[in-house]
Amino acid sequence: MDTSQLLKGVLDLAVLAVLRKDDGYGYDVVRRLRAGGLDEVGDASVYGTLRRLYNAGMLTSYVVPSEEGPHRKYYSINETGRARLAESRETWRSFASTLDGLLEEVAA
Amino acid sequence: MNTQALGVEHYLAGMRAALDDLPANEVAEIMEDVEAHVAELTTELGEDETLERRLGSPEQYARELRQAAGYPPKTERLPVTTKQSWLSRPRAAAWGLVVATGVTLLAGAAALREPAVLLLPGVILVLSLALVHDRGPVQQEIMNLPETHRLKKWLTPEEGTPAERAITYLKSLQPAWWLVRAGLLGLGAVLLAGRDILGFLAIAAIAVVSVFAGPRAKVDRRWLWFSLPASALAVGLLFQVIDVTAGQLGYNASRSSYQPPIVESYENIYAYDENGKLLTNVLLYDQDGSPINAPRSYNGCNMPGNGPEPVIPANRYPRPQVDYENGVCYTVTPSVTAPSSTSSTPSSVPASSGSTTSSSVPPTSVSPSK
Repeated sequence: MDTSQLLKGVLDLAVLAVLRKDDGYGYDVVRRLRAGGLDEVGDASVYGTLRRLYNAGMLTSYVVPSEEGPHRKYYSINETGRARLAESRETWRSFASTLDGLLEEVAA
Repeated sequence: MNTQALGVEHYLAGMRAALDDLPANEVAEIMEDVEAHVAELTTELGEDETLERRLGSPEQYARELRQAAGYPPKTERLPVTTKQSWLSRPRAAAWGLVVATGVTLLAGAAALREPAVLLLPGVILVLSLALVHDRGPVQQEIMNLPETHRLKKWLTPEEGTPAERAITYLKSLQPAWWLVRAGLLGLGAVLLAGRDILGFLAIAAIAVVSVFAGPRAKVDRRWLWFSLPASALAVGLLFQVIDVTAGQLGYNASRSSYQPPIVESYENIYAYDENGKLLTNVLLYDQDGSPINAPRSYNGCNMPGNGPEPVIPANRYPRPQVDYENGVCYTVTPSVTAPSSTSSTPSSVPASSGSTTSSSVPPTSVSPSK
């Protein structure tokens, strides 16, 4: 099954999750997602998701000057973002357990 | 390394082209992310790797990013603009904003005299904003109007040209302008304070809100409906203040350089006492003790049979008159009623003088008849 289709629906949740502890710039977030096991995540999708979450008011951003190359724009999660993360986590858990249940029945 | 740098520039240019229908500030934010991303990736690339192989073409990258960010796909733009009839809500709103800004500029130049004129652009603004307020902060429909595209193209000349540098420089002055604008509006409000309390409150409120409106308008275009007219109002007020100041300066300048002639509209001076009796031989002096001389030079008149009249001081009133026919000097009373409380009417009956014994006595003197 193509996981990229699955990923689309939950990329928000994944991005909020990796920003939960530490702020990060775009490529940083991409690396954390890949390190967490989402190998197929597209760079552009992550950058687009960051913009969408930012425009929705769940992230704030600040620029850190870099000695070599362009400045890095860090994103950090705010209270709205944390609330959304908590809410989405519940939704995901109940959805996953529902689907698990369905799959158990099929297997049985 | 050079070819790689070129590759980066090429890739970023492709990205910009693929995003150019989005709001400029949003594109700037995206490119900030992408530039850092591409720069970092470039350092990781191996000998035979290219950005394209790693990320896909700029167009693919942009498409994926737009999808994830929830921006409309690029192809959507053209059909939308061509399908629209010439009079649409976004167009009416956009032109309402333009017209209201223009009217505010004119009204601002008259606002100090008549603050109520600000109601006109105010109504236009509220109506035009009401048309599109529910379309969100990006106002994509207005940005898709052909006239908006033309304006945007005009405002974003090719990079490196003098026009582009000028616009970039002007953009960097924007925050300063927001402060200047608030200052001008505040000045306008203060100038109105004593005369029109409603106008004062309105302009003072605009001044305060304008400080926040500038930065807000960058992320939420709906604030343009406040920010643009506020700028126009500030400029209009500036014009008016300059006009008034220049008028005053011009007035002062003309007063200091131009001495108006002392208008001598009187021919003679008649002094009466409190009883309405005409005073004769009155000598007039000003505050410096200088004699207040009669406007017309006076040649002593010849008294019949007495030779030339001794010189009469030029500040002695009433002045005698000369009857040239007879060569006689006599005092003529004013032809109008004396401004005294008495009912006496000075007549203008001349009487020839016979008393010429004393040189200090004027040649003639006639009291107003009772």
